[in-house]
Amino acid sequence: MIPVIGLAIGIAAGLIFEPTVPTDLQPYLPIAIVAALDAVIGALRALGERRFNDRVFVVSFISNVVIAAFMVYLGDQLGVGSQLSTGVVVVLGIRIFANAAAIRRRIFHA
Amino acid sequence: MSEPEAPQRAEGLLEQIADTALDDDYYVVRAGDYAQSREFNTPLTGLVLAAFAVLVMMAAVQTRNDRPATERERSTLISDVAARKKLQANREATADRLRKQVADLSASVDRFDPAYQDVRVETGDLAVSGPGITIVASPSTQDNLDGSITDHDLQILVNGLWYAGAEAVAINGQRIGNLTGIHFANDAINVNYTDIAPPYRVVAIGPSDTLMQRFEDNPAGHYWAALQKDAAVQFGMTPSSELSVPAVPKKRMTIRHATAIKGEE
Repeated sequence: MIPVIGLAIGIAAGLIFEPTVPTDLQPYLPIAIVAALDAVIGALRALGERRFNDRVFVVSFISNVVIAAFMVYLGDQLGVGSQLSTGVVVVLGIRIFANAAAIRRRIFHA
Repeated sequence: MSEPEAPQRAEGLLEQIADTALDDDYYVVRAGDYAQSREFNTPLTGLVLAAFAVLVMMAAVQTRNDRPATERERSTLISDVAARKKLQANREATADRLRKQVADLSASVDRFDPAYQDVRVETGDLAVSGPGITIVASPSTQDNLDGSITDHDLQILVNGLWYAGAEAVAINGQRIGNLTGIHFANDAINVNYTDIAPPYRVVAIGPSDTLMQRFEDNPAGHYWAALQKDAAVQFGMTPSSELSVPAVPKKRMTIRHATAIKGEE
């Protein structure tokens, strides 16, 4: 119940306060969201396989977001920002799809 | 608890990513404080999910708020393009109109500027018609040596006609222009570099009533009267109310070296 409440509170806070991203951080927000989505899908899969561990979830979430943002930042500094973003998105996308496929197999047995 | 499944090593990089999609840490069972926290329903999970929701909403709201600005920019650009196209069409129409105007004006200048027209008549650039006299001169038919007509005789004749008030003169259809020479070459008299042969038909445009009289009274008239009398050269003058002389050939109107001095135009 608590995670659902947390999700609802987050959505409500985002809608009500409409926090704006600082301009300097704007390029890193989309990639951070993809990384966070990867952590969340992974957690859902672990939950289904009864391996969930909230500590691992927190650590993987934070590290995913920070590393993804850092890689884009590094890429920007090196002049290969868009290429590196593409690489990060590809890797995270594969992970998201693989985890989603595992969840689907568990639920639908297909 | 059974031994945790170790993720298998795959050959390709992408396969490896797909196979180890779930973080290895989920497979590791830790001893200690966190060993039992397999519970999903914890405040920590809730907090992280709340942060995730805020991130997503933040991006969504930002994108939605940015859209009107982007739209506005786009529509501004579109209207800008349309305005410039219209401006270009306007300017093209203006250019066409001005071009037409220039063409009309230059045509009207050619046609109607009296001073320019006079200059063209004077220089022999235009064929002209009007009253005048026709002089027909041919060498003596008698077998006398001095009975021929020379280039010098014709020069005196033309000079006399100018002096008498002629405005345009042509010999055998060759208009006398600014650059026209009358000289003897190749056994014939040459006007505008064209050979002419007797009888010499000289057409002079001018006041036909006084032209004849003034010619006869001036030295050229006397000279020709003497030629007629002494060398039996045939010479006849007839006034006419309608005569025409052609223009000087274009190649004798070409100016190659002379340019007008500034301020003298």
